[in-house]
Amino acid sequence: MPLITQTQNSQPHGKPIELKQKLAIDEAIISSVGDGLIVTDKEGRILLMNPAATRMLKQDAKAVVGKDLIDTVPAADKNGKIVPKENRPLRTVLATGQSFTNHAANFYVRSDKSKFPAAITTSPIILNKEIIGSIITFRDITHEKEVDRMKTEFISLASHQLRTPLSAIRWFLEMLINGDAGPVNKEQAKFLKNVNDSTLRMITLVNDLLNISRIESGRIIIEPKPTHLGKLIEEVLEEVRLKYKSKNQKVVVSYHPNLPDINVDPNLTRAVYLNLLNNAIKYSPEGSEITIIISKKGNEIISQISDNGFGIPKKEQYRVFQKFYRGSNIVKKVLDGTGLGLYLVKSIIESSSGKIWFESEEGKGTTFWISLPTSGTAAKKGEVSINS
Amino acid sequence: MANKKLTILVIEDEVLLLEAISKKLKINNCDVVSCSSGEQALDYLKNLSRKPNAIWLDYYLGDSNGIELMQKIHENKTWSSIPVLVVSNSASPEKVHKMLDLGVKKYLIKAEHRLDDLVNEIKDIT
Repeated sequence: MPLITQTQNSQPHGKPIELKQKLAIDEAIISSVGDGLIVTDKEGRILLMNPAATRMLKQDAKAVVGKDLIDTVPAADKNGKIVPKENRPLRTVLATGQSFTNHAANFYVRSDKSKFPAAITTSPIILNKEIIGSIITFRDITHEKEVDRMKTEFISLASHQLRTPLSAIRWFLEMLINGDAGPVNKEQAKFLKNVNDSTLRMITLVNDLLNISRIESGRIIIEPKPTHLGKLIEEVLEEVRLKYKSKNQKVVVSYHPNLPDINVDPNLTRAVYLNLLNNAIKYSPEGSEITIIISKKGNEIISQISDNGFGIPKKEQYRVFQKFYRGSNIVKKVLDGTGLGLYLVKSIIESSSGKIWFESEEGKGTTFWISLPTSGTAAKKGEVSINS
Repeated sequence: MANKKLTILVIEDEVLLLEAISKKLKINNCDVVSCSSGEQALDYLKNLSRKPNAIWLDYYLGDSNGIELMQKIHENKTWSSIPVLVVSNSASPEKVHKMLDLGVKKYLIKAEHRLDDLVNEIKDIT
């Protein structure tokens, strides 16, 4: 094994370490590491399984030697389905020599058929430019997943709790602004409007956080129904009409008259359109034009939303879908934004088997594309829906 | 029936919200019976000489939840005809479906609406 043959260590006195000694050191390393470690030959047969791996997988270290790894240690996807042989990364690693890391998506199946989530890295062992086997290292990430679930649950609870005081602030402010408690002078009215704007912004933030925690926790219900995306976008446009009219913006919508209905969750898709349109309106100057094109290309329906707005600086474009990202060029220009909208949009699109991408140039504008398969989105049971 | 003075029974366990709702309804020419718990609301319903024109109901109440209270309203022949508007900050589909099945006219999220709009909603269902 290259672990032994390729290193030329020496002791402090300069004496070469004897092979026996080296073997003992390597054996101690392999036995004492907390991560699971499995070594296979180039056919994917197990050569070695360290104690951590046998413990996690409930396997017998001696009995597994010589057996096919994929048969001995099945993997399951997040829905509990066994991953077919041809889709296991080991096959690709042994064929191509490329390492593969899977952070969270997979489960390993123990000998007693129980499962645990694992972060797995599969690497080739290469000797004289030839792939002679593979090393698989993995960790049980049950605890990490649990912590993540607790974090999401906390955000959800905290956001719900925030809604009550926010409602009180919103309603009393409304009465003050209306003059229900007596007249207010011009400056007071201006201050109250500022407080009101900030309150509404906070309500949006809380709603976005709630929606994100719903999607991240996997508790969201996906209820696909035959939906005409053209009609759906017209409805969303109606909702935002006041916003773009007040900025004298023009919105042009175009879709094929025979655009077929597709099976998607209309509430989730509506949230996607609403976010993208709100962004286009908010981050474009007065009098500019927003274009929406919905078209069918092969097995996909593509929605394109373009604006002639402020654009996203090139250097920051990799951060567009990250939580709380707001463009450095707009953060001072447009105050009401949470930096959560596009993260939410991407999460929804991905949970709907779709894709999203964009092109943007600072000072010229931005175009977002979303593609949804004509075969539609699979239904999913859950407990919560968006915006509830 | 624009000129008739409506009586609204408001059930909301958050004192500040109860105060805001009551004040706004009164400004809009309604009589208001304010209750901060489910038990208080049932007491009122039993003893009021005239039944309210509508009920404004929160989901989470200190001593019970909206579904329990709504079940009691739904089962009582005299009360079941009173239109109910639920205004809550918690609106999971399960809660909403259960409430609508029990005869609730509409289920709205508090923080999402102006008081003005909610007052119009309750007037609309009477």
